[in-house]
Amino acid sequence: MKLTDKQDATGDIDAIRKGFETRGYICNAHIATSIFLAEKLQKPLLVEGPPGVGKTELAKATAEMVGKPLIRLQCYEGLDEAKALYEWKYGKQLLYTQVLKEKLGDLMTGAQGLKESMARLHDFDDTFFSEEFLEPRPLLKALWQPGGAVLLIDEIDKSDDEFEAFLLELLSDYQISVPELGTIKARTTPIVFLTSNNTREIGDALKRRCLHLYIPFPDTDLEQRIIAARVPEMEARLRTQLVAFVQGLRQLDLKKLPAVSETIDWARTLVLLHARELDADLVRNTLNVLLKFQDDIDNVDGEVNALVSKAVQAG
Amino acid sequence: MSEVLGDFIRALRAADVRVSTSESIDAGNVIDLVGFDDRATLKDALSQVLAKSEDEKQAFADAFDSFFAFEQFKERPAAANENDERDSQQREQDGGEGEGGDPSQSGSASSPGGGGMGGERQGEPSSGMNLAELLERGDQAELQMALAEGARQAQLNRIRLFTQRGMFTRRIMEIMGLDGLNEEIERRERTKDGKGAERLAGLREGLREQVRDYVEKQLEIFTANSGRQLREEVLSQMRLSNVDRSDMRIMRELVRKMAKKLIALHSRRKKITRRGVLDVRRTIRANIEYDGLLFHTIWKKTKVDRPKVMAICDVSGSVAQVSRFLLMFLYSLQEVLPNVRSFAFSGELGETTELFKREKIEKALTDVLRDFGGGSTDYGRAFENFEALALDDVDHRTTVLILGDARSNYGDPRSDILKLVHARARRVVWLNPEPRSMWNSGDSEMRRLAPYCDKAITCASLKDLERVVSDLLRSAV
Repeated sequence: MKLTDKQDATGDIDAIRKGFETRGYICNAHIATSIFLAEKLQKPLLVEGPPGVGKTELAKATAEMVGKPLIRLQCYEGLDEAKALYEWKYGKQLLYTQVLKEKLGDLMTGAQGLKESMARLHDFDDTFFSEEFLEPRPLLKALWQPGGAVLLIDEIDKSDDEFEAFLLELLSDYQISVPELGTIKARTTPIVFLTSNNTREIGDALKRRCLHLYIPFPDTDLEQRIIAARVPEMEARLRTQLVAFVQGLRQLDLKKLPAVSETIDWARTLVLLHARELDADLVRNTLNVLLKFQDDIDNVDGEVNALVSKAVQAG
Repeated sequence: MSEVLGDFIRALRAADVRVSTSESIDAGNVIDLVGFDDRATLKDALSQVLAKSEDEKQAFADAFDSFFAFEQFKERPAAANENDERDSQQREQDGGEGEGGDPSQSGSASSPGGGGMGGERQGEPSSGMNLAELLERGDQAELQMALAEGARQAQLNRIRLFTQRGMFTRRIMEIMGLDGLNEEIERRERTKDGKGAERLAGLREGLREQVRDYVEKQLEIFTANSGRQLREEVLSQMRLSNVDRSDMRIMRELVRKMAKKLIALHSRRKKITRRGVLDVRRTIRANIEYDGLLFHTIWKKTKVDRPKVMAICDVSGSVAQVSRFLLMFLYSLQEVLPNVRSFAFSGELGETTELFKREKIEKALTDVLRDFGGGSTDYGRAFENFEALALDDVDHRTTVLILGDARSNYGDPRSDILKLVHARARRVVWLNPEPRSMWNSGDSEMRRLAPYCDKAITCASLKDLERVVSDLLRSAV
């Protein structure tokens, strides 16, 4: 079973990486490979990693690259299929029954006896439970989207187990069952992303159906490129120092390590402040952009001087 | 080729990475997609299909590197580019094999590979020529494949003892076409191509070394982990008091694993919400838009209470050997369950909840043993202390867990206090490290204490412990 020419694989992966790059999403070959596989194998991609490393961003960038709409489903505790999949338009259904009641008289004129009335009623289109009265929610929308879509199921770990189990049918066969209608298949197979911050263990059944991508904190080189793409107005020297500082910070034992999104925020802050070089005071004053816990800020305070001098050397 | 994948998956499984059959099939598709040529890409791609957690990714990376460690084939300039035709022929042959092997086959852990052997052997004579050629051309990928194929036919994955190394090395060399290679060398010597013969002989020795390295690597891959697994298996069933100090580390790892498993199981249970009675007020409010017809019913939901556990651990001299593990277990339990209060005693009883929260496991254990351990047991005193400290907090949702041997040095065990506790608590569970036949012998007071326990069980090994706790969590909901 050959899906494509082997020789093309590396080229394709590189093309994906470049495609992301032109859209401001800088990634390594590993991430590009996963997108390539997800597309070729038509499998959902489960993305895990610490908060703020660009899991959601990856889905957005992919949607932009393939030129399909992004349909997003944010998970939370208590999310159920009425909000994720479909809901009946009850109001419309009520109206429909009332209209039906009025029309019933016309319909039944001339009918002899109960048996014939019932037969006529059966002939009448049963549209009460039909697609017209179906209010599509994100999952159904993604299946119905003509031309396909990119479906992002965000923070799956926040949802309940039941919901996770409920997703299995969608993820393995790209179809869902509506009891009143039967199964609804995808018109075009969507590209599905699931993200998780690992607040709880995801079930094996779900993992088995997905490709699994773990995005760690980026290394120095990659982070520099990301900052260069996202905050182009920053000077190269300061950028090097800034990334070196953040990388040093990640070595410390902190409650919440600064992620890429924080690095970007910090870079923007420094640009706003017209900083030309890192120094201890500047870092102390702006550290709250980078660290989100007062405990962490207090802990780092003692290390700032050492970290800054190291970072300045790197620049 | 799928045999290679099958072996790799087996090695992964040995390295504690769970791989299901469907994932093996995916892996086969991935290889079709990206091929073997670009190792980095292959590694990236396979890791996404086969390893599905952070730990597994790490294990995968290690396993991949050692399994596909083919750098031993030194890069050398291609000697001659003749015989392109044969080259492509060879490639076709390899490709054919790859496709012939159904990907699903690779999923079965121990496909004996005996069936295919008869057929493969027929192609052998020609492969001798190919080997000489391969070596001269220095094509790494082809050599890797030939070596892997040879290893497959020699059933290298069955290697279990280091004494088998020589035998397997020779067998693989033979399958790869050693005879043909030797003939070729002889032929060159006869035709006065001394230089060519010499070069080829050198290459042959190089190859021999590489094959030996490869065999050793494989031996490591297929046996190292199984040894550890065996030890873990044995340890988990061994009586806690017999565990050697040197095995402590593995033991701790096991306790941690068990705790983690319990977290995963338990976090499922505690979220169950029960459907209760109809919430009339909210239902009417929600259905105003439907003309007051009760379309959308809203039910009162009750969140299930999280269980409270109070664990009392005996750390006195009589249970000294097991108390470390009991404490370790207590510590893990506190990480798993939200409302655990832990107490330790030998004579005097004290609360260790805060200590466990604050300190890392090693320090916490030493501190507890220092502060409470070593004394002579006095269950009476301990129960009195418990009464003063925590009896007021014992309520109908509390499970009281007592870990100890009930040997009270002939002192009054104050079963009346336990009776009080039993009356208030939802459950009292006694875990005794001694076998049941030892209960009530000597100064053991199980006879007087057991009536006030909902359950009194022997719990001497990790397996026992796991069963008890799992049971506890299940009925705690």
